[in-house]
Amino acid sequence: MKTSVTRIWIIAVNTVREAIRNKLLYTLLFFSVAIIGTAVLIASLSYVEGERIIQDIGLAAIRLFSVGIAIFVGIGLIHGEVDRRTIYTILSKPVSRAEFLLGKFLGLLLTVWLQVILMTVAFVIVTSATGSRIDSGHAAALFLTAMELMVIVALATLFSAFTTPLLAALFTLGVYTLGHLSRDMLALARQAEVEGVKVAATWLYRLLPDLESFNLTIQAVHGLTISPAEIWLPMLYAVGYAIALLFVASFIFQRRDLK
Amino acid sequence: MIGKFALLMALMATVCATGFIHARMPPTTNADRGDAFVPDPAVASVLSLGFDAALADYYWLQAVQAIGGDTRITAELGVHLGKLIDVVTTLDPWVDHPYRFAAVWLTESEENVRQANRLLERGIAHHPNEWRNWFYLGFNQFYYLLENEQAAHSLEQASRLPKAPRYLPRLVARLRSQTADILVAETFLRELIRDTEEESARAEYQNALDEIEIEKKARFLDRAREAFIKLAGRDIMSVDELLAEPHPLLSALPSPEPESLPAALSRGSVWEIDPANERIVSSYYGARYELHFPSREHQRAEQWRAEREGRDSPPSGPGGLDDGES
Repeated sequence: MKTSVTRIWIIAVNTVREAIRNKLLYTLLFFSVAIIGTAVLIASLSYVEGERIIQDIGLAAIRLFSVGIAIFVGIGLIHGEVDRRTIYTILSKPVSRAEFLLGKFLGLLLTVWLQVILMTVAFVIVTSATGSRIDSGHAAALFLTAMELMVIVALATLFSAFTTPLLAALFTLGVYTLGHLSRDMLALARQAEVEGVKVAATWLYRLLPDLESFNLTIQAVHGLTISPAEIWLPMLYAVGYAIALLFVASFIFQRRDLK
Repeated sequence: MIGKFALLMALMATVCATGFIHARMPPTTNADRGDAFVPDPAVASVLSLGFDAALADYYWLQAVQAIGGDTRITAELGVHLGKLIDVVTTLDPWVDHPYRFAAVWLTESEENVRQANRLLERGIAHHPNEWRNWFYLGFNQFYYLLENEQAAHSLEQASRLPKAPRYLPRLVARLRSQTADILVAETFLRELIRDTEEESARAEYQNALDEIEIEKKARFLDRAREAFIKLAGRDIMSVDELLAEPHPLLSALPSPEPESLPAALSRGSVWEIDPANERIVSSYYGARYELHFPSREHQRAEQWRAEREGRDSPPSGPGGLDDGES
């Protein structure tokens, strides 16, 4: 008799297998590695601080393309199962809808993290080849990128649990954008004279994912001091936020009519 | 077979026609059209969506391209560069070189220099141990704004930081003594040449150093001329008289051309007496280096100061505060 964790793991592994057959994944991976590589050429346009430019572009490419993979590969996972009607076979087994959803989430997250590892290898090769400094700050920045991806994958899973792939992509992109704007919106709202605006902005800030908290690119590239709290607080925040999203996703998916 | 051949020919014709049309489209960019858009730094920061560093690089490369080639730096281009560096340093204030890049290139108007100084102050806030930002700030204050007291303060700050050159305290003392002269300018310029990585900026500083070199030689000849007047009881008719009997004060005249000038570019310049003011001048420049930095730039700095003082002075006359009617 398989435990719930085993069932989730099996679905996750199958999701990884399915995802790595997706051509879009390789296209995005190819472009990310190409951009990391061409950062050397772009940096040569500047007569100074080329190493910084290579690292800025490399880390930006990893973040941008891994988010792209998370969104565009993730949104189709559940829809694909419904479309191919394989979901009925899976759910006819002793697998709950929540376990199915968690398995999909975990599988997609592992796929995205795998891509991040591959992009990181390319980044480290290019950075080392140009003689740039690479240290624990970069590791911290990449680790928090992985944490940010956990939230993005959870968002994609949530939206794909109740809507079409196109809408799920748009919703996830929208929340991703707002998640990066939430701190600025709060700062702007604090200058507002109307109390209601301040309260609304504060609630939005609490509700939306604070994705800027995962951004340590500048600190890593400039070798600035990164306190342990700048790493573990966002990590706990990502885990908590993803769990909350998955709870909501499971709740919605339990009630979804799959016919 | 013929059908396939016709299709291939049609494809080639289309490719050629498209290439022909494309070749006739000028590769004009927004910047070429003079309407290069630089966003407000605060807006750029908000809209960067976490890609601040990469966006800063994008605008930094635009700034580098803007001064590339034979582009002549104008006050308008200076404003544009100032905006670009403002965006770069807002998005990523820990960048290092762009602050001094602004100091080097934003010099065509007082507004440019003030903007460069504001950017340098931002650089100082984010790199408190970097002496060069204070140094460039001091240079701008001394060289372009004629604000010797502020310049002395800035250089004093620079002198207290690690790796600061040991001559800085002496420079501060000279500036504070109100006798800032060509030696101060020369020291500044030599340091800037050592520190600047842009070839064109270095050439600009070297030109200023060349002028100073000729001025120092001219001052040497002035002293010889004074000695001649004491000995002969009259002034010289030509500079060559300083070598001639019966009062050969000098064994040879210094070169009227800068030492850095390659022999192939020599203009055969001579020392002569300027009929307009009776002063010894090198025909290479045709005029004396009157003040402690290039005359064109000094005149400009004086003009900026006059305009500044005009703005700052209290209004007078009818309706003014001085007429006792307000």
